[in-house]
Amino acid sequence: MIKETLKNGFWRKSLGAWAAEAREGSIDRREFLALATIFGASTATAYGMLGLAVPTPAHADETPRKGGVLRVGMFVKDQKDPRSYDWPEMGNVARQFLDSLVTYTREYTFEPALLEKWDVNADATEYVLHVRPGVTWNNGDAFTADDVVFNINRWCDQSVAGNSMAARMAALIDPATKKAREGAITKVDDHTVKLSLKKPDITIIPGMTDYPGLVVHRDFEKDGKDLVKHPIGTGAFELVSFEVGKKAAFKRRTNGKWWGGESHLDGVEFIDYGPDISATVSAFESNELDCTMKTDAGYVAIMDKAGLIRSDVRTSATIVARTNVKQKPYDDQRVRNALQMAVDNATILSLGVDGHGTVAENFHVAPIHPEYAELPKKSRDIAGAKKLMTEAGQIDHEHELITSDEEWYKNTGDAIAAQLREAGFKVKRTVLPGSTFWNDWTKYPYSMTDWNMRPLGVQVLALAYRTGEAWNETAYSNPEFDAKLEKALAMPDPKDRKVIMKDLEQILQDSGIIIQPYWLTLYNHRTAAVMNYGMHPLYETHLERVWLKA
Amino acid sequence: MGSFLARRLGQMLLTMLFLTLGVFYLVNLEPNLRKLAISQTEMHATDQELESWLQKNGYRKPFLVRYATWLGLWPKLPNVDPATGAATARFSWCDEPAAPKFSGVVEGDFGCSTKFKVRVVEKLGPALEATGLLMFWVMVVMIPVALVVGVVSGMREGSRTDRTLSVISIATTSTPEYVSGVVLTIIFATWLGWLNGSAASATEGHLSFYNFTLPVVTVSIYGMGYVARMTRASMIEVMSAQYIRTARLKGLSFTAIVLKHALRNALIAPFTVIMLLFPWLLTGVVIVEVMFRYQGFGQTLVDAAGNNDIDLLLACSIVSVALVLATQLISDVGYAWLNPRIRVH
Repeated sequence: MIKETLKNGFWRKSLGAWAAEAREGSIDRREFLALATIFGASTATAYGMLGLAVPTPAHADETPRKGGVLRVGMFVKDQKDPRSYDWPEMGNVARQFLDSLVTYTREYTFEPALLEKWDVNADATEYVLHVRPGVTWNNGDAFTADDVVFNINRWCDQSVAGNSMAARMAALIDPATKKAREGAITKVDDHTVKLSLKKPDITIIPGMTDYPGLVVHRDFEKDGKDLVKHPIGTGAFELVSFEVGKKAAFKRRTNGKWWGGESHLDGVEFIDYGPDISATVSAFESNELDCTMKTDAGYVAIMDKAGLIRSDVRTSATIVARTNVKQKPYDDQRVRNALQMAVDNATILSLGVDGHGTVAENFHVAPIHPEYAELPKKSRDIAGAKKLMTEAGQIDHEHELITSDEEWYKNTGDAIAAQLREAGFKVKRTVLPGSTFWNDWTKYPYSMTDWNMRPLGVQVLALAYRTGEAWNETAYSNPEFDAKLEKALAMPDPKDRKVIMKDLEQILQDSGIIIQPYWLTLYNHRTAAVMNYGMHPLYETHLERVWLKA
Repeated sequence: MGSFLARRLGQMLLTMLFLTLGVFYLVNLEPNLRKLAISQTEMHATDQELESWLQKNGYRKPFLVRYATWLGLWPKLPNVDPATGAATARFSWCDEPAAPKFSGVVEGDFGCSTKFKVRVVEKLGPALEATGLLMFWVMVVMIPVALVVGVVSGMREGSRTDRTLSVISIATTSTPEYVSGVVLTIIFATWLGWLNGSAASATEGHLSFYNFTLPVVTVSIYGMGYVARMTRASMIEVMSAQYIRTARLKGLSFTAIVLKHALRNALIAPFTVIMLLFPWLLTGVVIVEVMFRYQGFGQTLVDAAGNNDIDLLLACSIVSVALVLATQLISDVGYAWLNPRIRVH
């Protein structure tokens, strides 16, 4: 199996070497698992190379019971073209009947799904994707390389408004046509597709696992891009009914077999109880729900108290108080650094989200990322902050910190504002309803944004801080940073990448564009009857293997 | 009577026209259009992408043309691809025509809900039905209790019964729904576990005593105290009238006086209040529906406004105007019936 997956000598060698390092402890075990699986080793192979067995989920010794309908509390948002999904909730509805090419697991590894395996060449410029044989769509069609080519081409279409997959597939796109480059995606045979990148990119496979990367049928465009009217998928369930803001119901796939076997559950229902947590608690009390898709940090204690079982997972999801460097007075680095120095991140963690997370260091790379490099810890310095702000001549400026009205946004923003006021700065807090806040999220002079987790550290840096990126809300532009990041994105070995990463982290931290107080830990809750269900670091809901106790 | 109704109907249509024009103006303000474009493309879409979406779907046509299209006095045009010239329906999920066609409110087409991705009638119909059901049960609980409380306390002003009932009425009226709702939920759903603190399953067609009692009671007790106070005041006034004293002096029993002579006259004032309660309920249920996750008109209004769902918001305002004016009509006609001295003409 190892020979098969790691045909390429280089990879066998380097994976082997990493495995040895992981065993010795010089690289983190989690780091190794994430890396090995990006490059095509299955989770079992990767664990095997460490001399370990794949950890079995709790209660795995119990025989799963077949039957029952699982009722999950989750917002039921309106559906649209998957590549333009902007909420994990949209993906979770579609995920019940669609699959992705590769999935990211709760153990931070990459597992093949609609692909059976993939091979990468030495400098990460050529990927060979092996399509899983024997997969059928629920309309009877066979799943082939044509579907894969069709989907990757769709992802590469930059001309479509809101297609966020285009950013993930940048290495395949021709900037002139705004579509996939000629010859970038080749169908080798019915079960093989080759990707030729214009430059090395190690984030292609992780990019495919994100929720906009769910794979649709090759007739999707012809059918009017409407998943609700034409719920054709490869997944374990079939869509029964869908009502925005109310409910989405699914039943076990009846039309042909799911490639992974058969789900334990007879069906799944996502029920929307709105943003008010008391409605969700009431729903559990009146036995209308079995589990939540997620539990926001502020409500963990309430849900614990309601007698529900908690599941948690550490992530690199975070929130940043970012300044826009194109707007006064944040064009002055001293102002930005003064804001950073006035804030103690540990305090924000405990006030903002009740300590449900780990302290971050203002450079947006997390310790769970494989390429994380440690920088000297900074501590709060009120006197220094004051001095710097006075020097910049902005001590009398009134900062307006804008946040959305979501609980943890509000609390985190309030805590930061309080700390800034303690340092003698004038701060005005503006709280906007979530529906209007996002209209202008990249334009505010000073506001807070949450960032979802991405498996590799370089990924968010590329999305958020590179010059001219659509999501670059700080308007930060630094040629040195861009050049180093470009290099890091072509470096498969985390040890090499770590060196560059240290510079990138330092540049970002020094620039002062973000106060990034903490990394979130994510939670969800379930009743005692729900088995094999846990929180996923990317808010994904995988229910094929979940079962209900009698 | 006939011309009175015709005048009222004309007044209603005119009000609708002006109100919808106002709403149409508001929902088409630039930030609102932007909000719509964002929700229909992607949260992080760029300005050009948003603009091209608005352009493509006809949101950049002149204001009055679009209003006339919505009314049905101007043909609704499909999207035309500038490259190929092929016409496609604007919104595939709500069966919009792929060819120019007069299809607006006048023709009975209320348009498409961009939030719920269905035709407006498909969303609004069930929502109104759900709220109607809630209002019906609220009225069934509230009116009899309020009238009895009001009459009983008003017939003997200043008695101990009057004082006690007055305190209760004032207390319930002055407690907003978002307080009483939470208190009732904590007591009956969380502590005692007798009732269901969420009415989500009630909209699924599983209406029961358990999932519907709390929302009904929460709305009822707020209106109840108010109606009871009105009834009481009216009752006191009637009870001190000359003809009641005459009846008393003639030797009629107290029960007969209250039931035969006082009650009907005392009901005129509360009748108006009750009629005014209908429009209040239609929007007043917003809090209760959101709190108990009951999918009615109030919840729909909140979702529509939150997402700048243009057609749905316009339809909501039409419904509101119709209801307000219809209840006023009924109360005018009702006056004449309750008090023969008043004539409708």
